[in-house]
Amino acid sequence: MSQGKFAHSLGIRHLVCGSCNGCELEMNALAAPQYDVSQEGWGIVASPRHADVITVTGPMSDAMRHAAQLTVEAVSEPFVVVAVGDCASGDGVWCEAGSAGPGAGRELEASIFVRGCPPSPDALREGLRAAATLLDGRKS
Amino acid sequence: MANNYRERPVALGELRGAVDELISNALPLGCYASQRTVRTIFLSQTGPLGLRTVLGEGEKWESLARRYPFFSYHEREMQALQGIDVQSSPDERPLYFSSDAIPEAIVAEGKGISGVVVGPVHAGIIEPGRFTISTGGESVVHIDAQLSYSHRALEPWFEGQEALALAPRVARICGNCSVARSWGYARAIEELAGVDLDDGTEFARLVLAEMERVHVHLFDIGSIAAGAGYDRGTTAALGLRERICQLNHLVSGHRLLFDSVVPGGVKAGILADPEIIRTTLRELRDDVARFCDALLAKRSLLRRLEGAGVVERSLAQRFAAVGPSGRASGIACDIRAIAPYGAYRGFAFSEELAGGGDVYARAELRVREIARSFDFLERGLRELEGRRLPTPRQVEVAAGVITTVVEGARGAESISLALSATGRIERLHVISAAYRNWPLVTRAMEGNIVPDFPLVNKSFNLCYSCVDR
Repeated sequence: MSQGKFAHSLGIRHLVCGSCNGCELEMNALAAPQYDVSQEGWGIVASPRHADVITVTGPMSDAMRHAAQLTVEAVSEPFVVVAVGDCASGDGVWCEAGSAGPGAGRELEASIFVRGCPPSPDALREGLRAAATLLDGRKS
Repeated sequence: MANNYRERPVALGELRGAVDELISNALPLGCYASQRTVRTIFLSQTGPLGLRTVLGEGEKWESLARRYPFFSYHEREMQALQGIDVQSSPDERPLYFSSDAIPEAIVAEGKGISGVVVGPVHAGIIEPGRFTISTGGESVVHIDAQLSYSHRALEPWFEGQEALALAPRVARICGNCSVARSWGYARAIEELAGVDLDDGTEFARLVLAEMERVHVHLFDIGSIAAGAGYDRGTTAALGLRERICQLNHLVSGHRLLFDSVVPGGVKAGILADPEIIRTTLRELRDDVARFCDALLAKRSLLRRLEGAGVVERSLAQRFAAVGPSGRASGIACDIRAIAPYGAYRGFAFSEELAGGGDVYARAELRVREIARSFDFLERGLRELEGRRLPTPRQVEVAAGVITTVVEGARGAESISLALSATGRIERLHVISAAYRNWPLVTRAMEGNIVPDFPLVNKSFNLCYSCVDR
């Protein structure tokens, strides 16, 4: 199955766990014509059940913790969690600040960490390509 | 600039009368507590004004929100974080919560009423919030917006930190209003210290703030197109916005201009070649104007925008609406015009206003504001030509209490700061335009159809991170 035409297409569910919204602005930029990731067969999906990838931002907030876990549990295997940005990766400015967690990507056991505050669209695209490759390996 | 924030003590029993008197000719900015001291702040014609009320042991705060619903979030916040006992609040639910104790939503009841809950995780790249929508048929009867999913108790954590060292974090309280907030924070520290900046630095700050406004307004216009299901418009708006983000990166080293305004000045080496920036912006300006003209001439799109999500002027006034959302309902609230600061003082600027208060008005107003931003940019950059911007100056931090207000892309952004003589933060309170405007979003939806919620919501496009903190 993984060798076909849609091998690298990704359904993405995005989780925001105490991010400043900077990572979201750059995730949204991926839809601009300069990047247009829909050409790669990537798109944001309306349910975690449709997702191959969970992208997650922020250090983790108390109020999001349970919803974030439920979202990840709802995804079918195989899937990949991608930590987007320094906060989700564990050393952003909001990690452990106030009641914030140590990095949402760490709590949700991300396999890929895309660094930056926020990461550039180019870096995000690279991270998602790496997720597609990883997913290919998990399917076969 | 010297600190032009003034405050006066008002006893608890006299507060309500003082608020009644001020509210008709000053913009309410909110109320916040530092331990047992509550400051109710306004932007008056002579600058920010605080009413300082000290609550004695066991004394309770009588809710202002009963009469002025604008204060509801503010009071709930000081109850949650400083333990102020707020009496007869119209909404007694805790503002902040953890996953295992989410407060009940408020729902409408009655024959034929049913409900829809969306969030906190959404089918898009958007921040978390839970919306409980009560409907009668297709029409919305009531929406309960539960925010706070991004709450990280940041304000108590700020206390005791070095004010200057905290600047990069202040720049990251919210990605959409970073320059505006950094500017407000820098001004608070500088005005307490009595620091005057050179004209070049002031023009550079104006240029950076207007570049932020252009990229956020373009994003918001693209979001409105998305809310109406017009993907072509969204893609084109994001493409134009991308060009300004790339320019941001070129001039500041950061695509969203984070850390470009710092206490004491602007980031070293920034805006190094104003002539090239002007040329790039002129091309962008033409393309933006062409795009916006075509977008607002698209009749199938207009049919979705016109008449959707109306905020009447009286409602906007009652909630002290700010930013494009306030101005689209006819409220004069542009801080650049009503309380000019920095280089805006040198401009004769009359703010853009509209009357309709619907999604169309909020879109069209932003289009005009982008044009004004390009005017500011042209003139600001011309002023920078041939000037060498100084590196940020060392600020000798001085003790005191202050509130500053800056016009961000989504409206009035205020910083209330109390500093110790050693330059540490005793209290830092951040109130964003989004915090002020959220109650309008839900009211704008009443009577509209459920499928218009994304459209109406996106026409405000309020942030969550600066609201929740």
